[in-house]
Amino acid sequence: MATNTVGLFDAPATALAAAGELKGAGFDATSIISPIPLHGAEKVLGEKKSAIKRFTFFGGLFGMLFGFSLAAGTAVLYLHPTGGRPIITIPPFLIITYEMTILCGILATVIGFLVSARFPAMRERVYVPEAAVDKFVVSVLCSDDAHDRRAEEILRSAGAEEIRRLREED
Amino acid sequence: MQAERDISYADVNRDVVRSLVETGSKYYITLAISVSVMLACFFAPWFYQLQYGIGAAGMNHPTVWGTYLASFIFWIGLSHSGTLLSCVLHITNSSWRKAMYRSAEAMTLFSLMVAVTMVMVHLGRPWFIHWAVPYPNQMELWPNFRSPLMFDVMAITTYLTGSTIFIYMGTIPDFAAVRDRTTGWRHHMYVLLSLGWRGTDTEWHRLGWAYTFLAVLIIPLAVSVHSIVSWDFALSIVPALHQTIFAPYFVVGAIYSGTAGIVTVMFVLRKYMNFEHYITKLHFDNLGKLLLVLSLIWTYINVLEIFTGWYSGTSTEYEAIRYKLFGYYAPLYWEMILFCAVAPLLMISKRFRTSFVPMLILSIAINIGMYTERFLIVATSLSRQYLPDAWGIYVPSLVEISIMVGSLAMFVTLFLIFVKIFPSISIYEIKETLPEPEPKTQSESGAPEWQPTL
Repeated sequence: MATNTVGLFDAPATALAAAGELKGAGFDATSIISPIPLHGAEKVLGEKKSAIKRFTFFGGLFGMLFGFSLAAGTAVLYLHPTGGRPIITIPPFLIITYEMTILCGILATVIGFLVSARFPAMRERVYVPEAAVDKFVVSVLCSDDAHDRRAEEILRSAGAEEIRRLREED
Repeated sequence: MQAERDISYADVNRDVVRSLVETGSKYYITLAISVSVMLACFFAPWFYQLQYGIGAAGMNHPTVWGTYLASFIFWIGLSHSGTLLSCVLHITNSSWRKAMYRSAEAMTLFSLMVAVTMVMVHLGRPWFIHWAVPYPNQMELWPNFRSPLMFDVMAITTYLTGSTIFIYMGTIPDFAAVRDRTTGWRHHMYVLLSLGWRGTDTEWHRLGWAYTFLAVLIIPLAVSVHSIVSWDFALSIVPALHQTIFAPYFVVGAIYSGTAGIVTVMFVLRKYMNFEHYITKLHFDNLGKLLLVLSLIWTYINVLEIFTGWYSGTSTEYEAIRYKLFGYYAPLYWEMILFCAVAPLLMISKRFRTSFVPMLILSIAINIGMYTERFLIVATSLSRQYLPDAWGIYVPSLVEISIMVGSLAMFVTLFLIFVKIFPSISIYEIKETLPEPEPKTQSESGAPEWQPTL
């Protein structure tokens, strides 16, 4: 059964170096768990792409169309002529459109975040509580014992102060 | 950065978790007082007003808006602090924001809640407030989206939703950090709130993007909210209200009072939540500079308001200006000028900006002045419209004064609850400002400092 070999490091620099070595040795499923965002992580583990910006854009676009349709549509459904002015009045309806664009953009961003970061987590995953305090953890998925030993060797030589083996729930 | 002593990552976790789980008698006494004041001064008079009708308030012809709406503008204004400090300083990479933005965002959220409640109080029949929501109904009625009041409904709903999401999303990593160090019901609560956050590189990446997008969306939203609030007044044809300067005037005033509010809250957090090492003179210095600039812009717009009124050459505008400067409410006007335009000049001195108690006093004075400004906008304009036979003085009734005080107690109560649920300073962002840990040699590393539970 596949296990995760995790190495705990004191400093971000050594954790990043270890992750880089694992990646170089062919361990693709490598990740870093850290108490702060690590800015060099993408350089080591490869550039990440996120769909969040698409969610924001299309959410905003939907909100824009919805906002204007809401204002204009309800004005047509319930006619309220005022001083000979048009029923569909652009300037005030643009304000409603603007607000709905932002509201839907925000809600879509949240959905995009939850989907792309896989939240809320419904099962136990690899986690090291010290990583929320002051440890930088490199986690690597190993398919068999040989891989496991190789990963441990790399992590130890990179300066890991502790090695753990953790399993994820299926 | 801001830390005055050497702080380790573990210290940050420990100090913040301590602020959540260790609660002294002072906290409970303060909470009891604020809840009591809220019940006695806010809910009891409101109940009385609901029983006996809106006549319990001093609002009457010609001044049909009073302190309820002045409070509404004030609280909406205060809410702009979070947006400025959090979003603007986030996208401009200002690291000094990190110790204070969480509380600033909380101020935004609770100010908005209180502001919405003030609208409910102002309504004669608040049980019909759902009529402002566009939903299909058996009467086949729809709200009038050409009305500035509907702009308000849409803008404030959006702002409240956006602010709630913004503060929550930025706190997810901290909820996870607290989750690991708490037990019992608190642990269960943080398990739910943290959504299963682990701190992987992918999660940080996604959070970074989402947070930045939210910040970028919320800045124009905040500007629009207070512009729209100003249009509640400026779109009327009342002298002294019907002015194009009102939108920027309100936005600047909002950021000004919000920043002053942040100074007050920072002082209290620093002193009573033991965050002396995180909230330092640097923060007060920077906030002081910001306040000084805002006070100058605010003063300029006030001068401009008088100038454009005079330059219009209209008798009604002349009268509105004369009445504001020398009429019945003139003492309040000059108090506002003293507190918001003259006293803030003290912040030219760095010594003043880095002195905690004087900054606290000044920040409170600024917000008293800003409340007065909002009161004067409503009271001086409506009580002095076109025809002298329609003039009249407005004085708030005891019910209104009591609710005004009670709204402050409501804000304090919400904030006191907040500081025991949300980490009031951001754990991970504070860590980002600390020097990166150096790799230890094998002999130094020893047993980890981390302890599983408190």
